[in-house]
Amino acid sequence: MRLRNWRSKGESVTEQEIQDKGYANPDALVSTQWVADNLDNTENYRIVESDEDVLLYDIGHVPNSVKIDWVEDLNDPLMRDYLDPEHFANLMAEKGIGPDTTVIFYGDRNNWWATYALWVFRLFGHENVKVMDGGRVKWEAEGREMTQDVPSFPRAEYPVPERDDSRIRAFKEDVDKHLDVSGPLVDVRSPGEYKGELLHMPDYPQEGALRGGHIPGAANVPWARAVREDGTFKSADELRGIYEGEAGLSDGEDVIAYCRIGERSSHTWFVLSYLLGYDNVRNYDGSWTEWGNLVRAPIER
Amino acid sequence: MEPTLDRKSRVALLVEHVESPRHKGALESADVVVPGGSPECGGSVTVYLQGDGNGGIETLTWTGQGDIISMGSTSIVVDRIVSEKLTMDEILAEDYEQVVDLIGRDIIRNRKRHATLGLSTIKAAVRQYQKKIRTTQPKTRS
Repeated sequence: MRLRNWRSKGESVTEQEIQDKGYANPDALVSTQWVADNLDNTENYRIVESDEDVLLYDIGHVPNSVKIDWVEDLNDPLMRDYLDPEHFANLMAEKGIGPDTTVIFYGDRNNWWATYALWVFRLFGHENVKVMDGGRVKWEAEGREMTQDVPSFPRAEYPVPERDDSRIRAFKEDVDKHLDVSGPLVDVRSPGEYKGELLHMPDYPQEGALRGGHIPGAANVPWARAVREDGTFKSADELRGIYEGEAGLSDGEDVIAYCRIGERSSHTWFVLSYLLGYDNVRNYDGSWTEWGNLVRAPIER
Repeated sequence: MEPTLDRKSRVALLVEHVESPRHKGALESADVVVPGGSPECGGSVTVYLQGDGNGGIETLTWTGQGDIISMGSTSIVVDRIVSEKLTMDEILAEDYEQVVDLIGRDIIRNRKRHATLGLSTIKAAVRQYQKKIRTTQPKTRS
């Protein structure tokens, strides 16, 4: 197992069931049991629920978890970008998260939004991050405790960080350069979106993009293929079979992942970076809503 | 329209509609079947509309999947249209902002598209129905 400079610095909590799946960074995941055992360790850990379905937290959540909503909390309200460092520091302080707090993310839809929030945290250099394997659906299926009580934690001190958009985020110009060298791209949308088939009302433009299709040369691996039916991630061998065997990616390469607005591809970014240990994976968050609207951007169908 | 219920009760109303959706199901006798939204983002619905041939609705049903806001608000809107026997023209005149107000801006905030998915798809179905009637029925007016 490779050691990496951004690996979680929190204590090792690797458990057997996760260890057995053979990941490059097994510490990036914790089990639902581990979370249940650590609910009250709020001084060192903060459990964060991030969902697509924003009302799920209201109707019941993991005790002592806080909600971070990608729409309201993580985006700049005006410009298409993520929040700025001052707002991030304030959000952390409000949620009682200090720079050394280990944040455990979980959410609906196979942790789709949980990994998206985690990716945004990483832009700001918050490195002590983990995902609850199986997410909300597994916690519920196991009949574990849920509450409607919203916890309040003392305001934390969080120094304003710098946001680093160079290592794990790709912009349109980066994709252009990537195309020049035929670098590997992975499109994690559904096959219908990838092929540019219409998926919308006849009267409405395609979900935010004028043209359908995909970036030339991109492989198509729908993001949810990385998870099992119970919501947990597939084993490293299974994941390698999909991303390397089928899609032809390999570690050591510079990989760019994209989807429609960069949320589903952050899930794939997490899988490739943390579970398979790829060193250079970037998420192109402009994704199809940018590319499919760009004048003269090359498209394949 | 101002929300008369507190946030908790309005969330409970949405959840109740998600758990017991009104008029949900495919309709074989539909004159038009119109899909809306995105199954991968927010939610999707399909509206089944059967007209009464006289500017009114004979039967209106829907199917779909998505988050609590989109599914709950679709059920609420369909329920209202059916119980108040709104005509097609009245449906087209329905205000999206009213739906948002009913559920509450404190809940919806920037997810307006989710809250109006049902109504916008129903309106699209009405327009398609009216277009179909215009093109398939001989003109009787002189």
